[in-house]
Amino acid sequence: MEAQVPSLPPVQARKSLQASDRRSGYGLLSPAILVIAVVTLFPIVYSVFMSLNDIQLTTSGYKMSFIGLKNYGVLVNSGVFWHSVWFTVYYAIVTVIVELVLGMLIALAIQNVQRLQGVSIVVMLIPWSLITVISAQMWGYIYNGVYGVLNYIVTSLHIVSQPVTWLGTPVSAVISMMVADIWKTTPFVVIILVSGLQMIPKDYYEAAYIDGANKWEVFWNITFPLLRGSISLAALFRILQAFGVFDLPFVLTNGGPGNSTESLAMLGETSLFQNLHFGIGASIAVSTVILVLAVCLIFLSAFRSMVEGDAA
Amino acid sequence: MKGLYRGGAILATLTVAGGLLAGCGTGTNNASNGTAGTNATTNSTNTAAGSGAGGVVNIVWAAPPITHTGLRQTLISKFNAEHPNIHVTLQDQNSNTDTNRASLTTTIGGGAATPDVYMGDVVWPAQFASNQLAMPLNGVVPSNFFNRFSKGLVQGATYQGKVYAAPFFADSGFLFYRKDLLKQAGLPVPTSWQQVQQEAETLQKKGLVQYGFVWQGASYEGLTCDFTEYLTDAGGQVLNSSGKAAIDSPQAIKALTFMRGLITSGVTPKSVINFQEPQSEDVFVQGNAAFLRNWSYAWSDSQNNKSSKVVGKVGVTVLPTFGGASGYSTIGGWDLYINPHTQHTQAAVTFIDWMTNTQAQTILAKQFSEIPTNAQVANDPSVQAVSPIFGLVSKTHYVSRPDQNPNYPAISKALYTNVNAALTGSVSVSAALQQAQTQINQAASGGGL
Repeated sequence: MEAQVPSLPPVQARKSLQASDRRSGYGLLSPAILVIAVVTLFPIVYSVFMSLNDIQLTTSGYKMSFIGLKNYGVLVNSGVFWHSVWFTVYYAIVTVIVELVLGMLIALAIQNVQRLQGVSIVVMLIPWSLITVISAQMWGYIYNGVYGVLNYIVTSLHIVSQPVTWLGTPVSAVISMMVADIWKTTPFVVIILVSGLQMIPKDYYEAAYIDGANKWEVFWNITFPLLRGSISLAALFRILQAFGVFDLPFVLTNGGPGNSTESLAMLGETSLFQNLHFGIGASIAVSTVILVLAVCLIFLSAFRSMVEGDAA
Repeated sequence: MKGLYRGGAILATLTVAGGLLAGCGTGTNNASNGTAGTNATTNSTNTAAGSGAGGVVNIVWAAPPITHTGLRQTLISKFNAEHPNIHVTLQDQNSNTDTNRASLTTTIGGGAATPDVYMGDVVWPAQFASNQLAMPLNGVVPSNFFNRFSKGLVQGATYQGKVYAAPFFADSGFLFYRKDLLKQAGLPVPTSWQQVQQEAETLQKKGLVQYGFVWQGASYEGLTCDFTEYLTDAGGQVLNSSGKAAIDSPQAIKALTFMRGLITSGVTPKSVINFQEPQSEDVFVQGNAAFLRNWSYAWSDSQNNKSSKVVGKVGVTVLPTFGGASGYSTIGGWDLYINPHTQHTQAAVTFIDWMTNTQAQTILAKQFSEIPTNAQVANDPSVQAVSPIFGLVSKTHYVSRPDQNPNYPAISKALYTNVNAALTGSVSVSAALQQAQTQINQAASGGGL
């Protein structure tokens, strides 16, 4: 079985690119690179610069004074900061893993349903297409401790005797928020994985079944390896988004109870727009970028070795 | 030939990209010119209706909706009619105080000349003054300007000796109660906190009402207000006279233990830890709670047939005490600030002068039941007859939040997140206060998050 692992024919790079062709290639790329530099690189570099300054608002604009790593010192010494790093990390990891597993199951189900495929994809898309602020408000009503729908259901079914304050304890608030997130963003994973599944040639499956492989073997040896591009794409998008989570906790709990659901993005917003500590806010933003990059790199290398380990 | 062709292609791409970038550039320019979109329109009306027609000055007033949204427009129309040389336009702001602040700091911090005047929270002066987001009023207003306000209000708008805002309308916490239920059970109107708890329990046990007492327990500014009232009544304070945290004290433990006890005894529903004003008021006006701590507007809301099931069944009194003469009420309310970048200082001053004078303040009180800041209006018997709230104003003991520190938002956050955590029971009262003590000290020195 192992010897027959199919792989997509590699796209052959043209080896004989002439020097002039290469030059004109760069020439054609340069405008795009310029645009990216202006709209992406400059803000990032400027944030780093801001994070190294003490910034005061004055009537004639912003007054910056260089203070080195002092803003980062404030972060390192703050329990609130570490708490929100920790919350953001486990929130992102748990939601992304659950969304990937669930998304994979749903994608396989949709792929195997011949009828109603279009309809099920459209239905799946409804949560994803709702604006988060609105769906978060909706979940707020569902979880409400006095008149919430969820309490109505669980008390009517006699699962609990007293209404539960879902957003009332740190643990249940975090879980409730994760459920709302998973409900909303699993469809995104499904869509990417379904399109990935549709690109796998059918003959691979036919060949495998002729060779007597069972469904499980087919999944691990054909579907999963050939889907790894789609999986890592979905995972990367989700990791990036999950680390920037703002709207859901902002609407659902405002970071509470206590500060148990305060994400890094919320902390940054508070520093920048409520406390007017622009330097500290920038340093939170930069720390978040570093954290996201690190997690993405770890994920990519772990995922690659996992897939290669399976394929070998 | 091929080279020429390729060169042409590159040139074409560059031109397109260049155009794109230039387009971006113009786009941003436009945006920053009119940072508050209204700026551009104001300027155009300025020239159209303005300088051409006898020098009408256009100014913009930014204000979030005030309970009855008609209030802002009523006052503006009246002002415009009386001042043919000044035309005020309303810029609608978000009713969430923090969102409102974020939009104002972005606009004014970015140097925009409008809004010329804005309505802001009473806890903003120190922060806005130290970030130069508000114009000091001393020197631009007549010297006797500040004499009109009720005692203590101007002090609240002062930072390092200068006044940065004109008090527009005041507010504070009150205890609303169901007089029908108290009468039915033969209970007096409570004057102590313990009494509130006992009477609420009695009413609940008799099956007259579902919940005893609702208030604001969510992790947000409103919890700082509620907690400050219990704390001050218990004899404690958030910051001591030298500006250091004083929250890890027996008085604070007493206050917070009582609040937590309201929840554990079942008098207050557990979900209070997610309640802001609308949620707590909603439980009360739906007839599901016997007592409510809220701001003055809850009076008119509870008497509104459309939204309230308890019309005519509600009484209101000053907040109770643990044992003193009477309890304390947090000062809330709104001030009028002038944008330091305004190009129409004189018109802006004329506007806030009129808005805090007897005519506007009487409209505010009589038609819209807001507590006037103008002392003459506040003491007018015909105004006091309008709402039972106005009769309580002179009997109320006020307490300010520690908003004289420019880092007040971070101090308040350190307070309300930890108090909220203790209310949920996830940390003990004393551990929460110790944590608050540390975080408030960090916040007060500018290192708060």
